[in-house]
Amino acid sequence: MSETVTLTIDGKEVTVPKGTSIIEATEILGVEIPRFCWHPGLSVAGVCRFCMVKIEGMPKLQIACNTTCTEGMKVITVSDEVKDAHKWALEFHLINHPLDCPICDQAGECELQNYYMKVGRYSSQMDEDKVLKPKALDVGDNLVLDTERCILCSRCVRFEDEVTKTSSLGIFNRGDHSIVGTFPNRKIQHNYSYNIVDICPVGAFTAKDFRFKCRVWFLNETKTICPGCSTGCNITLYEHKNQRQYYRLKPRKNMEVNGHWMCDEGRTMYEHLNATNRLAVPTIAGKHLSWNLLGKEFKQKLENVKGNADKVALVLTPQYTNEEYENILTSLKTILGNLPKIYVWRDSAEKIDDFDGILMRGDRNSNSKGLSQILEKHAAQAVTLSGDFSPLASSSANLVLVFGPEIEKSYSQFANEVTRFAELSNVIYFGTTLNPITKKFSLAIPTKVFAEKNGTFINFKGIPQKLKANPLVFPAMKGIEDIFAEIKA
Amino acid sequence: MGYINVSKDPEKSLKNGYLSTTLLGLGQTISVFAKQLFKLEESVTIQWPEVEYKYSERFKGAHFLTKRPDGQVRCTACFLCATNCPAQCINIVAGQSSDNGIEKYPVRFEIDILRCVFCGFCEEACPVDAIRLGPEYSMAGLPEQKWVYTKDYLLNRSEIKKQVGAKQVSKKEENTKDASVMSSLPNIHKSSGSGH
Amino acid sequence: MPVIKNEYQGRKPDEFRILLGLEGHSNARNIQTYIEKGNGYKALEKVLKGGMSPEDVINTVKASGLRGRGGAGFPTGLKWSFVPKGPGEKYLITNFDEGEPGTYKDCYISEVTPHSLVEGKIIASYAIGAQKSYIYIRGEFHNEIRWCAEAIKEAYAAGYLGENIMGSGFTHHMDVYSGAGAYICGEETGLISSLEGKKGQPKLKPPFPAVKGYLGKPTVVNNVESLAVVPWIIHNGPEAYKKFGTEKSPGTKLFNVSGPIARPGCYELPLGYPLMRFINEDCGGLIGGKKLKAIIPGGSSAPALTAKECENLTLDYESIAGAGSMLGSGAIIVIPEDVSMVSVLENLMDFYAHESCGQCTPCREGTGWLYKISKHILKGKGTKTDMDRMYSIANNMRGKTICVLSDAAADPARAIVTKFAHEFEPYLKG
Repeated sequence: MSETVTLTIDGKEVTVPKGTSIIEATEILGVEIPRFCWHPGLSVAGVCRFCMVKIEGMPKLQIACNTTCTEGMKVITVSDEVKDAHKWALEFHLINHPLDCPICDQAGECELQNYYMKVGRYSSQMDEDKVLKPKALDVGDNLVLDTERCILCSRCVRFEDEVTKTSSLGIFNRGDHSIVGTFPNRKIQHNYSYNIVDICPVGAFTAKDFRFKCRVWFLNETKTICPGCSTGCNITLYEHKNQRQYYRLKPRKNMEVNGHWMCDEGRTMYEHLNATNRLAVPTIAGKHLSWNLLGKEFKQKLENVKGNADKVALVLTPQYTNEEYENILTSLKTILGNLPKIYVWRDSAEKIDDFDGILMRGDRNSNSKGLSQILEKHAAQAVTLSGDFSPLASSSANLVLVFGPEIEKSYSQFANEVTRFAELSNVIYFGTTLNPITKKFSLAIPTKVFAEKNGTFINFKGIPQKLKANPLVFPAMKGIEDIFAEIKA
Repeated sequence: MGYINVSKDPEKSLKNGYLSTTLLGLGQTISVFAKQLFKLEESVTIQWPEVEYKYSERFKGAHFLTKRPDGQVRCTACFLCATNCPAQCINIVAGQSSDNGIEKYPVRFEIDILRCVFCGFCEEACPVDAIRLGPEYSMAGLPEQKWVYTKDYLLNRSEIKKQVGAKQVSKKEENTKDASVMSSLPNIHKSSGSGH
Repeated sequence: MPVIKNEYQGRKPDEFRILLGLEGHSNARNIQTYIEKGNGYKALEKVLKGGMSPEDVINTVKASGLRGRGGAGFPTGLKWSFVPKGPGEKYLITNFDEGEPGTYKDCYISEVTPHSLVEGKIIASYAIGAQKSYIYIRGEFHNEIRWCAEAIKEAYAAGYLGENIMGSGFTHHMDVYSGAGAYICGEETGLISSLEGKKGQPKLKPPFPAVKGYLGKPTVVNNVESLAVVPWIIHNGPEAYKKFGTEKSPGTKLFNVSGPIARPGCYELPLGYPLMRFINEDCGGLIGGKKLKAIIPGGSSAPALTAKECENLTLDYESIAGAGSMLGSGAIIVIPEDVSMVSVLENLMDFYAHESCGQCTPCREGTGWLYKISKHILKGKGTKTDMDRMYSIANNMRGKTICVLSDAAADPARAIVTKFAHEFEPYLKG
């Protein structure tokens, strides 16, 4: 039994594994066949009838998503007959679509709009009244449903059935009165609900979190990594083009890591990036300090303990990049002459090996693996602080450097635990979030958030993944590497 | 090859001198002055600000927002004006309307009038005829005056009400559903729960 | 030009009875009557005791040339042979949904001779190796559900159903399943979805039901009439069956006539019987001497034929297909001259818009759209472009969907809009 078949698509030959559908084969070739219901992460429904292609030897056009490639098959995706079929399929989708694009959040990234520009461009023959259906229904904690905009592709229904296995959505009624909706007394309440918004090709499902906040054409995309847990889902981060404001993030396909999806918990990872909650300027004993003077003050503090590396405690959290850990350790070694005592601060309530079966892991730190690898490389012995801070208190260090977590909500007892550091004397705290306790440290230094860093996270599987930096929310801000470079100079 | 000489003979014009031409011009001025003094001809200049100048209907002056027949703001907060604005002077914050038939409305709608270039692109971009450039052209004010026009101000332009009048209620065909249609829609979440 | 068999000349339809032999009998539904008067369960005996192998049964049915009576006319024996051989769960389902407007032949079978169906089902199940079979009946058919259930009960009592039937080692169980009355559940994969307890909507093909059907197991879905005639074929042999009908469409078929006809009803006729003779002589012609305008020859999804087109037509698959329509389920709807084709169109489109399952976009939106336009025209608000629009919408619905409901809606629309265009003119403005 041969494992591959060779076929021709628009004159281009392609060899694919046996059992591949035509639409998957065209993906390999980079030919785009218009589609609504087909999604690579879901089963084949074959209901939108949009992906029509001509197969030589078959009298009728066939749908590309449910036709398996066979040896020597000749597929044509661009003939007049196929183009006409695409136009009509689009017309059928649009005749009962409300065309309320001006108030629809999907406008700008709507597949109906995109395909109209790509394969449509006809003038509609629809003269009759459209079918009216319920709008703006609350169908869950995060979702709003507009059944009028829905094109009944059933992606959401299949997502609920196949990915989360919650099956809370169904299609009710018949004919052009068909309505997608939740079953009576059921709501969409799970940790993957925003994926439904992503896979919805139109604006039927909109996210409460993003609804009406911003039009998508104002947003810039950055491809980076989710810092929410040790899975390290690949994401696209959306930032306003003109204001320094983050609005949302979406998963990016990576079959090795997250497939097509990500969890709702991870979707909140844009919130702490915005200026409102950020620690903007360094403070020294509660007073603002300019970035220019920071280097001097920091250097002073380190020079006081020069040579006494064992009197310095370094507290790390697993939420920084490999490059930053490397920089911190080598810089301190150079300045102090030796590595200080190292503590790793972890959440006291975390269950590292937890896994929800889809993507989210109990280890809510983005770079646990990276931190342990760097520590190993430097042959450093680290003491873990997990609820119990006595090892640190008893070390009677003269200077404590705390690299606090970027995502404070991943530490269930953060507010309590951070005060334990404030009780110590001479603490230099690095953190991102504005909270009252920062004023109590002798020196508090803002750090960059993951969206502003170029660096590496190593996920639970050991896959290193690169972050990509956006422009800084506070343009004057210096990163950890800049500060150490300044004092070493 | 040849050329045509169009210049006057300098000798000849000098001979006649400039005096006659000057007197002719002076005569013109005096005649207009006299005519207007004795109201034989209408004056072009006006006594602004005592007298208002009336621009054409199509004049693009300060903005105003139109209303629905029931008095609600017509704007649906689609951001198309803000997108189209070359001066980036429109700032909108959208929200969910309590009226079921409307869905999205502007919680805030602000125009930074100092940045505005009065190009009228916002009016062009608006799909629902919600923003118009009105007849008002005198926008001078004291420095402490607010130069950011708020939604309230744009909706209720008392100083131009007389000129705008009925124009402020847009008669453009309503795209939303009235209450009777809304109530006759199939409700898939009926609390009575008689099933599907 | 269709050839009319000479042997039909001068013979009444009563003389061609294969299925409806017990018609008019006082106690026809009783198993005793069936056994005594209708050679009942003889065929089953022949199969199980006479040492016929499943292949023999399939070959006999193949040889008889029996074609599926549900509408498509697919050879029944061939359909059975697609089921994978060997052990494993398999299912036989009888399609008793009979939703096609104008059709009531299956009801008549269950009223006259439900045991033919039960016996045919046992034989067919033996042929394909199914241990369990269902009769999927439309929910509105209360009497038919009762009659079928009673027949099954009697067959169990008589030992024709259950474990180790007649000591042959063949075990078979049968059940009646009541649907909820959706037209789309008459489509075989829609029926399977409904039987599985899901929303009744057709499934994507491939995989075909013969490979992956009910509960993912090989399944054969047969029409009531196709199964009910099987015992006769087994008992009398394929050659006897082939004596009836034409070469390509052998056997008899039940025809239902409706409309303003003197004697409407269900008739058993050999295939190839002349249509106009049937209407005018056997059914007594149109009431009040009305003139015939059109005939829908095979249920509402068959394109209508004009009176002129019907003149030389015979009732078999090929002849009617040649005229551009289809024999379908054999439901002949007669339309007299005083009925407007515009209202016929509106009525049909209303039906299909209501019955589209809403799964595939062209059908979901297209049927609704066609209905809206036809309603518009009927109200006198249509324009000439509406006819062109209907034609192009119908054209673009055809052959684009999972099942053929969209074709079933598009074909009659196309036929009426083109063949009866002149009737629309009074309705159109401008």
